[in-house]
Amino acid sequence: MMKLIPSIQLHKRFILTLLLLAVFVWSLTSIQWNSELFHAGGIPTMLQIFEGLIQPNLEPSILLIGLESAWITLAYAVAGMSLAIIYAFIVGVLASGTLTSSKFSRIISKVFFRGILGFTRSIHELIWAWLFVAAVGLSPYAAILALAIPYGGILGRIFADMLNDVPVQPILALKAVGSSRLQTLLYGYLPLVWADFISYTMYRFECAIRSSAIMSFVGLGGLGFQIQLALADLKYESVWTFVFFLIALVIFVDVWSNFVRKGLTDHKRNKGIRSGWLSVLFALLLIAGSWLYITIGENARMYELLSEKNLQYAKKFFGGLLGIDQENPAFLNGESWAIALKLTIETLEMSIMAIGFSTIVAIITVIPAARNIANGSLTLKRKWYNWILYGFIRLLYIFSRSVPELVWAMMIIFIFKPGILPGAIALALHNFGILGKLWAEVVEDMDPRPIRNLATAGASKIEILFYGILPIVLPRFLTYILYRWEVIMRTTIVVGFVGAGGLGMDFKLAMSYFNYTQITLLLLCYMILVVIADFASESTRKAVK
Amino acid sequence: MSSNTMIEAKNISKHFERKIALSSLSFSIKQGELVALIGPSGAGKTTLLNSIAGLVPLQSGVLLIDNVPLAEYKRGKRFAKKIGVIRQQFDLIGPLAVIHNVLAGKLSEWGLIKSLFSLLVPQEKEVALIALERVGLADKPYEITATLSGGEQQRVAMARLMVQNPAIILADEPVASLDPARADDVLEMLTKIVSEENQTLIASLHSVEYARKYFKRIISLKNGEIFFDLPTEQVSDELLKELYQLKDQD
Repeated sequence: MMKLIPSIQLHKRFILTLLLLAVFVWSLTSIQWNSELFHAGGIPTMLQIFEGLIQPNLEPSILLIGLESAWITLAYAVAGMSLAIIYAFIVGVLASGTLTSSKFSRIISKVFFRGILGFTRSIHELIWAWLFVAAVGLSPYAAILALAIPYGGILGRIFADMLNDVPVQPILALKAVGSSRLQTLLYGYLPLVWADFISYTMYRFECAIRSSAIMSFVGLGGLGFQIQLALADLKYESVWTFVFFLIALVIFVDVWSNFVRKGLTDHKRNKGIRSGWLSVLFALLLIAGSWLYITIGENARMYELLSEKNLQYAKKFFGGLLGIDQENPAFLNGESWAIALKLTIETLEMSIMAIGFSTIVAIITVIPAARNIANGSLTLKRKWYNWILYGFIRLLYIFSRSVPELVWAMMIIFIFKPGILPGAIALALHNFGILGKLWAEVVEDMDPRPIRNLATAGASKIEILFYGILPIVLPRFLTYILYRWEVIMRTTIVVGFVGAGGLGMDFKLAMSYFNYTQITLLLLCYMILVVIADFASESTRKAVK
Repeated sequence: MSSNTMIEAKNISKHFERKIALSSLSFSIKQGELVALIGPSGAGKTTLLNSIAGLVPLQSGVLLIDNVPLAEYKRGKRFAKKIGVIRQQFDLIGPLAVIHNVLAGKLSEWGLIKSLFSLLVPQEKEVALIALERVGLADKPYEITATLSGGEQQRVAMARLMVQNPAIILADEPVASLDPARADDVLEMLTKIVSEENQTLIASLHSVEYARKYFKRIISLKNGEIFFDLPTEQVSDELLKELYQLKDQD
């Protein structure tokens, strides 16, 4: 009997894997797999899109438009992030409870401010944008605030977590010398967390660029707007030109953030704060430039947001959401609920399918995508084609993650008929690159000694994969799968906007018909989904531990 | 005991950029010999073992393993039967069960299907169980390796070597992170098994005491050169003092 227990323990992960596979297969059964999935002209269209990819439109006029929209996208992202940082800083400090004295007030402030952060980040930026546009009209501030609110929520939560996780000894030592709470924050907490906070913010900045690009879909300018126009005109070669601009922007931010992170980790060694200050200067210039452009170039005024007219609109809109003066609000109607819940399950299936597809592609590609496999240092096997494979897959990853789900969805919808499959494919196309990149980093960071020992014991490459690499990295792979699944859940609603099925499609219809109470109902369903995702991934994570 | 030469080194040299790690070493080791490799830190012990294991390429000289030049072996089954390596306990896959880590010694012989299937239903279990029995871990084949103590993990590594059954065992500081009692235990077991199987053992050690206690021949390295190569009983305290002496003139 005693011997059985560890062996059950051992098979727990195996059983969990089977369970997750079964869930994936269940999601697949929701689709009728036949030729009806494609448009009649779907395949030729796909070939045309592909042709555009190889021969993008490089006319000077298009390039000029691309450059201008890239700047708008960057400016909105920078302005949004600068507000998000302020919001995250203030609410994050309050939510961490480091400024409160008594235990009771700490719990109150934690629950209250963490609640605010949680609410603001659980709603996707595109929905915020839609709400703002509906409330205040087409102003750059609609885009900036729509970025600032959810990103502030994410940053603030991470900031609060970091403040809570600082080592206690230095803090206690500061308190012992008699520093006030604010002084402890300035001299203790902040110096301990700022490096991590900056590198996390840089990482989020990259995501903000993509989000800023898709702001166009509610009618705000930028790269997404141009992509949308070009798609509507079926000019696929111009679509790719703008997509390449977006990829270039993402790569630029990625390179810059790597540079900043590197500076933060080794600045002690080469004692050069120069590169750090250079980045700070650059960031300040970017922020100033962005705000100048928005306030002067686009002539947008903050106070216009609060004009009499806008207040009237906003009142009507939010009143409508709450069902004031409505005969039969949808969120009190059983029939509407039944339909909405069916859509909720569809959306759930879409998200599972999407993470399933991404996982499959990522697991096939991740091993050659790790640097320590490519140079042979991990497996002691050097092959000439390793570097080619590495470069190719890494390029594929960058390509995949630089293009937002929404843009993928808009293209996919030309090939497939509306439904949850195109949505899932679009989400998967964006996420496999992210998943692959995160996983490859896990493989690169692992202890090479046990793997090399397997290699010296004569194990083949695939045996090394199953006996050495997978047992070590799988738990962390799973963590990333779950984390991406949560993100995908948030994004399902967005791909729905362009006709990829699920709650999002209905959301867009309700928006177009000004059916405000239906919107409230759909937002409620959507929050249920986010809660389910949080709960499911939390319990799976615990099961692995 | 047969007396054929297992390892023959002729003027082997290795340098990393400008630093000389091994300078023109020559020695030969016969089958069944137990050789301790000692010397101050940075003398080239690990580099020498890694060269014999084929992990670092040599700049010049000839290294014959069982009368065949090292370069002619390809990684894989044949080489795995000649040379096995044991280091500190960091060489095991922590999240795998003990039995899989032990059976990893069979991977060079197994095909892909068999090795994958074995992760679900352990194959050739008896071999692994016998090996575990010999290292005194018969009761723990299904424990997760990472939960074992350092000494136990080192014994798992030994069980793996027994399953792999190479002609030559290279041990790089096998007891470096163990306390004296566990270190004695591990070395005693290692040398006993090696003698029983008539294998050849080269172990680098930082402790002269262990070298004298368990090995019949001691090769000492200093600054990448052989300082002495003697039967254990001829190694005097004066020689050792000179070996570990810090250079005054530098």
